[in-house]
Amino acid sequence: MSATIAITRAGPLTTVQDAGRFGQLRHGISASGPMDGVAYRLAGALAGADHGGIEITMAGIGLRLQSGQCRVGLAGGRFDARHNGLMLEWPGAVSLAAGDELTVMPGTAGNYGYLRFDGAPVLPTIMGSLATSSRARLGGLEGRPLQVGDVLELADAAGPAPQAVTARQAETGPIRFVWGLHADLFASPVRQRFVTTPFVISRQLDRMGVRLTDAGGVFADATILSLASDAIVPGDIQILGDGTPIVLMRDHQPTGGYPRIGTIISADLDRFAQLRPGTDIAFSSVSVVHAQQILRSQSP
Amino acid sequence: MTGSSVTDTFPTPTIAPLGDAALLVRFGTALTDSANRAAIALVALLQRAPVPGVVEVAPSLVSVLLRYDPLTAAAADIAAELRLRLYALAAAAPPPGREWTIPIRFDGPDFDSVAAALKLRPAAFIAAHNGAPLRVLATGFAPGFVYCGLHAEALVLPRRTEVRPMVPAGTVLFAAGQTAITATELPTGWHVIGSTEFNNFDPAAEPPTQLSPGDRVSFTVAP
Repeated sequence: MSATIAITRAGPLTTVQDAGRFGQLRHGISASGPMDGVAYRLAGALAGADHGGIEITMAGIGLRLQSGQCRVGLAGGRFDARHNGLMLEWPGAVSLAAGDELTVMPGTAGNYGYLRFDGAPVLPTIMGSLATSSRARLGGLEGRPLQVGDVLELADAAGPAPQAVTARQAETGPIRFVWGLHADLFASPVRQRFVTTPFVISRQLDRMGVRLTDAGGVFADATILSLASDAIVPGDIQILGDGTPIVLMRDHQPTGGYPRIGTIISADLDRFAQLRPGTDIAFSSVSVVHAQQILRSQSP
Repeated sequence: MTGSSVTDTFPTPTIAPLGDAALLVRFGTALTDSANRAAIALVALLQRAPVPGVVEVAPSLVSVLLRYDPLTAAAADIAAELRLRLYALAAAAPPPGREWTIPIRFDGPDFDSVAAALKLRPAAFIAAHNGAPLRVLATGFAPGFVYCGLHAEALVLPRRTEVRPMVPAGTVLFAAGQTAITATELPTGWHVIGSTEFNNFDPAAEPPTQLSPGDRVSFTVAP
């Protein structure tokens, strides 16, 4: 059955996301899509949804079902979710009836959570996708984050049957990467220190990129060249002209001219996206073949 | 300058992994005419003879990105197929490309300083700028953004030292031997020499942009 959802509280950068707007790089548009794809898919399985949903940020979200009914899958990080005041499991699922309130408050871990519904959001498809691009300002609801007062229509439930899946134990340990396009532009001692020195997730993070604090001064004296722009992929670790490392994320610029020392592997990028500011991280290098083996071993 | 033939020699490409789900073919690390023509020719070749497992091909100024699904394809297989095609690149017919005429109003805030820096009177700069058709060198920097070039050596200027925080869609930019056109608002360190009504980005259209790398653009003075 269809439903109408009213947003009663929205943290900054709450956006509609689906799997992503792929195939548009030549037009200057990166794919967007969920910052934590594993959690996005878990929320979808819990809801019985293969269409887009809502990505929330640390501050959470509040919503009221204005009409109809729907099932909601919840996953990603650790949030504090309540249905009409009653605490819910996270990750978990809940069925909402007209008039019900769903409140998601900041929890103990993670930057991003997902709300997916058994009915698809009724929104225009832009270049084949509902995903909101914070860079290109398109997709989702008018290309912008959701705000208090927004109303989302959901179509009749049409997804697969919901599943009672559990969250896989998240990996811990170093963030693995493959050496990048421009790794050889960095002197051997700099590369050596890159994998032996901890970095810290800074407060400057969003869907486009995550700046790291280089407390160990790994890149403090590195000479950073400006290069002819090449394609960027999510997970690229780019070193800005002043030596600041920045990991480019789902709403990344499509091309860039700063050197990239490496790229975080696909299997670790979701987990990286969930690391909160202040978290220490270590990088460890793997081969492309190993990265792909890790990814395949994680796939259902 | 915009044509190519079997006698052209393209720079030797390198194939490098870009993460675990893409390969990048590079014909150089700096923008040159031949490296750019090679990248454009490779994209055309890959359209005619796609590499199995590749889900997206995206050209840049001197390189081409090939994205693949790491769950189903192996980098080594893609690279091997790619090498076979690269052997045939020099002999491949150049992509035909389309012809465009784009009217410009030379009304940008940097127009006078650019002409002066090139030691040209304004009218002479416009004549030199519009004198020969340019090639669309690359797209993809931002929605609908195009780089056109390469201008003759006498028209090469470095970028500005300061970045303008935001210029509107339809801004005509000039630097590094190129003329570029914005299709969305963006910050830029290039010289702003003019504006155009030409709109190269419509998210509701299929495809959303009109100009492709390898197309030829003739600039005229807007009436």
